[in-house]
Amino acid sequence: MISEFNVKAEQKDNCVILNTYGYINNEGGQKIVDEFSQYHGKGLNNFVLNLEGTKIVNSIGISFLIEMIEKLNDSNGKMVFTNLDPTIEKTFSIMGLFQFAEKANSVEEAVNAFK
Amino acid sequence: MTSKFQQNIISKLSLQVASFQEGFKILANASSLRELGRNFNHILRGSILVVDLNLFYKKNKESPWEEIYVYNKNSKKFLDDLELGTNFLLVSAKRKSYKLRILLPLNDDSYFGLFLGPKLDRKPYSELDKIILQIFMQLLDNAYQAFNSKRKEKELIFSLNHRVVQLNSLIDTGIEISKLSNKKMLMELALERAASLTNASTGLLRIFNNTKMLSQIEFPAGSNSREILNSNYKIERQVEYRGLKYFITLANKESRMGYVPFDETDEILLEAFARQVLNAMENEFLHKEAIEKESIKKELSLAGEIQKKLLPNKMPEIEGYDLAGINIPSKEVGGDYFQVLKLSDGRFALIIADVAGKGVPAALLVSTLDACLVAYLEMQIPLSEMAKKINSLIYKASPPDKFITFFIAVLTPATGDLDIINAGHNPVLLLRKNNKLEKIEAGGIAFGMFDMGLPFEGEKLKINRGDRLFLYTDGIPEAMNKREEEYSDERMEKFFKSKKPKKAKTFIGNIVNDIKKFTGNTPQSDDITALYLIRN
Repeated sequence: MISEFNVKAEQKDNCVILNTYGYINNEGGQKIVDEFSQYHGKGLNNFVLNLEGTKIVNSIGISFLIEMIEKLNDSNGKMVFTNLDPTIEKTFSIMGLFQFAEKANSVEEAVNAFK
Repeated sequence: MTSKFQQNIISKLSLQVASFQEGFKILANASSLRELGRNFNHILRGSILVVDLNLFYKKNKESPWEEIYVYNKNSKKFLDDLELGTNFLLVSAKRKSYKLRILLPLNDDSYFGLFLGPKLDRKPYSELDKIILQIFMQLLDNAYQAFNSKRKEKELIFSLNHRVVQLNSLIDTGIEISKLSNKKMLMELALERAASLTNASTGLLRIFNNTKMLSQIEFPAGSNSREILNSNYKIERQVEYRGLKYFITLANKESRMGYVPFDETDEILLEAFARQVLNAMENEFLHKEAIEKESIKKELSLAGEIQKKLLPNKMPEIEGYDLAGINIPSKEVGGDYFQVLKLSDGRFALIIADVAGKGVPAALLVSTLDACLVAYLEMQIPLSEMAKKINSLIYKASPPDKFITFFIAVLTPATGDLDIINAGHNPVLLLRKNNKLEKIEAGGIAFGMFDMGLPFEGEKLKINRGDRLFLYTDGIPEAMNKREEEYSDERMEKFFKSKKPKKAKTFIGNIVNDIKKFTGNTPQSDDITALYLIRN
C-alpha cells in the first residue's frame, strides 16, 4: 500500500491544530491548505501545524505553507509549527519560514503561544 | 488658455497629490492581491465617498475572474457586462446595482475589473470623480506591477533558498548515510532525500545481479514501480558496486501547475546522491573489513598466547641427561608442538608433533592433542594403544585435510630405555657415541588420517652414555633460501653429526643459527621445532 498523505484538524478554543502524516509535497500541501481554508474562512486565525507525522517536505509543499502564512499575516493571524524533524526545521529556517511564523517544541507549547 | 472648469479640476487635483502619493505607498506595500484590493477600497472610499466597490482580477483571457474585494455579494453577475479589450475602459451605467464599470488591462495580459455602486451622498459621479478614479486606477496598475516585481523577487529568493537547502541537504545526507551501517536504511534515506530535493513525486531504487532483480525500495513506500518506470517525467542513474547494479529512478517532478520535466540541477543532484550511496557502501565495506581484520588479529594473538602455554617454558631436569627444545612459529599461531612430561612413575615422555597447516585450525588440533596426551599418559597404557585412542579422537575432531604427524619417546632415565612410537613423523635421529647415525621411523600413519583400527607399531631402543637424540619438525629440512633451495635432510644430518657440543642448549642455538644463515632474509615459511637430548 502506498503511504498516502493525511491531515487531521482539531479545534482547541480559538486555535486550530492541523496534524499531518506523510510527505508534504504538491498533494500534501494542497490538502493542508484545503483544511486550513475551511477554518480560516470561518474567521479562525490561530493555527498550529503539528508535523510529528511528517519527515519529508519538498519545496512545492513549502510553497503551500508559505501561502497559509501569508494569508494569516493578511488577517492578523499566526502560524506555529511544532514537532519538527531536525531536517525539516533546518529546511524551514533556510527558507525563511520562521521570519513570519513561530515554532514550538510541543502542541501544548504551541497552543499556549496564542494565550 | 485653460477653461474655468479645467482650472477648477487642476486645483482640486493639486490638493489630492499628497493623498495620491500616500495611496500609492499603501498599495505598493501589499503582499497579496487581496491585500491590494482591500487597500484600494480604503483609499477610494476616502477620496470619492463610495463603499460599494467590487474588484475582480483575471489572469488572462482564458482564466476565470477572481474576487479580489467584493462589497456586493451579487457583483459577480456584473462581469457579464464587461467586454475584454486592450484599452482602459470607464463606462457609466444607469443601473440600480452599479453606476460605473471599469476595465483595466495590465501589461502582463491580465485584467482588473471594477464595479462601483452609488456614492454615499447619492449624487452621480462627477467628471472630477472619474478623473480621480482614472488616476487611482493608474496607481493600481503601478502598484500591481510593483506587486508583481516583489512576487518575482520573492520567487527568486525562494528559489535561491531552495538551492541552499539542496546543497545543505546534500552535505547532511552524505554525513548521515555514512553513519548508517544498514545498507537498506542508507539507500532509503538517500532515495527519499533525492526525491524531496528534486521535487520528485516518487522514487525507486532497484538492485540487480546481472539481469536478475534482487530487491527494490520505493519512495513513498508502496509506490507503484511500474508507474514510476513508465512515467514521462523521470530521470535515472546507475551505479555498480561489487558485482551488483543499483538503478535509482526519480519520477514526476512536481510544480504547482502539475508535473514538469526534471532540469539539469536535478540530474546533478541525483548523480551526487548516487555517488554518496556508492561511497557509503564502499566505506561500510572497508570499515567492516577493518573491524574483521582487527578482530582476527586479536583472536590470532590470543590463540598464539594460548598455544605458547601448551609448550614447555622450561625443560624438566633429568638426572644424567641434558635436554633442550625450541619452537619458532612462522605465524602468530603455528601447527608444531613439542612437550616433555614427567610421568608419575619417574619416566619422561618426549613428544614432537606437526599439524598439517597452520593458523587457528591447526592450533585447535594441537590443543586437542595436548589434552589427550596429558590424560592418556597418566593412564600408563601401552603406547601403541594410546596412539590408537589418540588417532581416533583426532580423526573425529579434525576436518578431512587435517592430520598430525607425531613422535613420542618414553625414557626410563636410569636405564636409558626408550619406548617409541612414530606416527607418520619425520625420522628421529639418534647419534651413537661412535658417530653412527640411526633413523627411528617405526610406527604408523599420522593421527587423524584414517580411523580404521590400524595398529601403531612401537619400537624399543636404548640411549647410552654419549648418545644424542634429535627430534625435529619438517620446518628445519624444508627451510628455504631466496633461491627456493631447501636446507635439506642432508645438511641437517651433517650438522647433527658434526656438531656435538656439551650442552643441548648450545646445539639448538647453533642449528637455528645455521638455518638462519642459510635462509638469509627469506621469510620463515614453516614452524621450526626441535628437541635435543644428550645422555651424559
